[in-house]
Amino acid sequence: MEFKKGHKIKVKGSDEFLTVIGKLGEGGQGIVYRVKYNGCEYALKWFFQQSLKNPQAFLKNLCQNIADGAPARSFLWPILVTEQTEGSFGYLMALRPPEYKSFTDILNAKVRIVKHSARVNAALMIVESFLSLHRQGKSYQDLNDGNFFINPENGDVLICDNDNVAPYGVNLGIAGKCRYMAPEVVMGEKPGMQSDYFSLAVILFLLLFLSHPLEGEKVVKSVCLTDEHEKKHYGSNPVFIFDPKDNSNKPVRGVHNNAIDLWPLYPQFIQEAFIRSFTDGIKSNEKRVSDSEWLRLFIRLRDEIITCGCGCENFASSAKAGDSDELHCLSCGAKMVRPLRLNVQRYSVALYPGNRIYACHTVESSMDFRTETGRVVRSKNHPNLWGIRNLSETSWQAEMPDGSKKVVAPNAVLPIFKNIKVSFGNVSDAKIV
Amino acid sequence: MSNPFENTEGIAKRTMVLFFVVDTSGSMAGKKIGAVNDAIFNVLPEIRKISEDNADAEIKIAAITFSNGAKWLYDEPKPADEFSWPYVNADGMTDLGEAYRMLNEKLSRNAFMNDVEGSYAPAIFLMTDGEPTDDYKKELDRLNQNKWFRVAIKVAVAIGEKDDVNDEVLTEFTGTPEAVLRAHTPEALAKMIRLVSVTASKIGSQSSTVGQESRQKTFTEELNKQQQEWQPVNSADDEDEEWN
Repeated sequence: MEFKKGHKIKVKGSDEFLTVIGKLGEGGQGIVYRVKYNGCEYALKWFFQQSLKNPQAFLKNLCQNIADGAPARSFLWPILVTEQTEGSFGYLMALRPPEYKSFTDILNAKVRIVKHSARVNAALMIVESFLSLHRQGKSYQDLNDGNFFINPENGDVLICDNDNVAPYGVNLGIAGKCRYMAPEVVMGEKPGMQSDYFSLAVILFLLLFLSHPLEGEKVVKSVCLTDEHEKKHYGSNPVFIFDPKDNSNKPVRGVHNNAIDLWPLYPQFIQEAFIRSFTDGIKSNEKRVSDSEWLRLFIRLRDEIITCGCGCENFASSAKAGDSDELHCLSCGAKMVRPLRLNVQRYSVALYPGNRIYACHTVESSMDFRTETGRVVRSKNHPNLWGIRNLSETSWQAEMPDGSKKVVAPNAVLPIFKNIKVSFGNVSDAKIV
Repeated sequence: MSNPFENTEGIAKRTMVLFFVVDTSGSMAGKKIGAVNDAIFNVLPEIRKISEDNADAEIKIAAITFSNGAKWLYDEPKPADEFSWPYVNADGMTDLGEAYRMLNEKLSRNAFMNDVEGSYAPAIFLMTDGEPTDDYKKELDRLNQNKWFRVAIKVAVAIGEKDDVNDEVLTEFTGTPEAVLRAHTPEALAKMIRLVSVTASKIGSQSSTVGQESRQKTFTEELNKQQQEWQPVNSADDEDEEWN
């Protein structure tokens, strides 16, 4: 049965009620309603009575998740559960703002993420979400394109359907789609941290290349992709479409155009991470790229983004450009200057006007990729003179190429020249090269 | 030159063809064919939505009607958003065998299953209210040799009472009694057509789930689950209402 407008549902363990405003959508597991609670509007996911294999265990897990709290801000996390009524129950969560578009629509190119910065931000947020989930000892049991929503303008991510999140080893009776699962899970093993790393790599590959990493010529040749074939292509014999040693599953022009066109645009270190994930990482779980490694890789990728005068974002070191000094804008074709770089910790930031440095660069062992500590600016009087404005609260010590020392106080600017050494406090190994 | 990210294509998707195999023999005339016409017409927007909100496969629809002989509505499967259902009339015999023969002919990569990106197993939905009047067994045997047919989701709705249409004919088609439903009233028929079409579209058009035994099994399980959820009390079992 379906609830009508105005229907009231009691909140579990409370005297409060939710009031149904209307229906938002329907899926295999249940119906999502727009409801009013305490004067604000929310989404209520109401389960079909028969959709859960073990409703009591499911409910217990849901309540535990509510008690633990959202692992990161990107999760549309359950807020409360309702009393059981009409033989079932539901849970409340925030409404998804309309500017967030489904990842499915993005994969279908109904919505496009045009800017590198938005795409890389989406990758960072997805990785951060996984990282925080793993820190709570939990994993996703049914990860797929339907779980993610992305604001295509800035790459902000919202993750939905979080009722399928459970501690490792707990089986909620939910099976994921083969296309998103690690080979060993497809072959029947229990999911774990390492298999989540694989699924994460699949999602990231889809986001960057709008193609599936394991779907190339070999898969297209399976004219009818039966369950048996899926088991083979995603389980017993998966082959990466860009496997450098095995071209049996290479992308097919006309079918996998995105993969062929977009792969060369990314820097080599990103290509290598995917190659590792989907070649050695297929059989040896420990060779998979972990979430913290992905986080560093995408911070590095963000460091590569430079904006052409036409407004188009480019990677300073795309594999396509190779080692040549010539760099041409993807969009207008104009020649772009290959920028100097700030080599700091494990990173190398392209020093191009508008680029930012963050706490993860300037603070030792920080993974904070949001707090800006510096920004590359252009001199007002001499546009060809660029510098880094200190946006942190501590002074930087610089050793200029001639050996002289310079203190860069907060809000002051350090001019950019080759061979300047910088100390940001406890990070003292930075150098402009 | 232009930014390649402004011109990306949708991800390569497979095709899943949903086949409607509809009895338009004389005995279907009146409420039965009316309910079928209405139900298929009304479920199409839902199928379009399932196809749109899907990154695994695109749903295409093919339809064949059978009475005196059989005929395809279109000469190729149409994308869900291009398929429209013309109201069909009922008249003549029940040449199910001819429908099987024509289905067998088109279930081939050289015919309907020719998507360059490949296909998922099709879903084939048979609706009938009477005993076949031709030699359907011979054609069913041939159909059973067809690989596409063997892996397909198969489901049948018997329209009317056991005296009119026996489950056995339909079970021979689906391979399992669990995928044979019986509609006693036009209302129940309309609900079943919607439920079966939507469930088959959903299960058929997504990457298989881990541990899935077969699409057919996942489909029948889901169908049963949904039926328990939605079956309106006293509706499907209400045998009082007359069909004609």
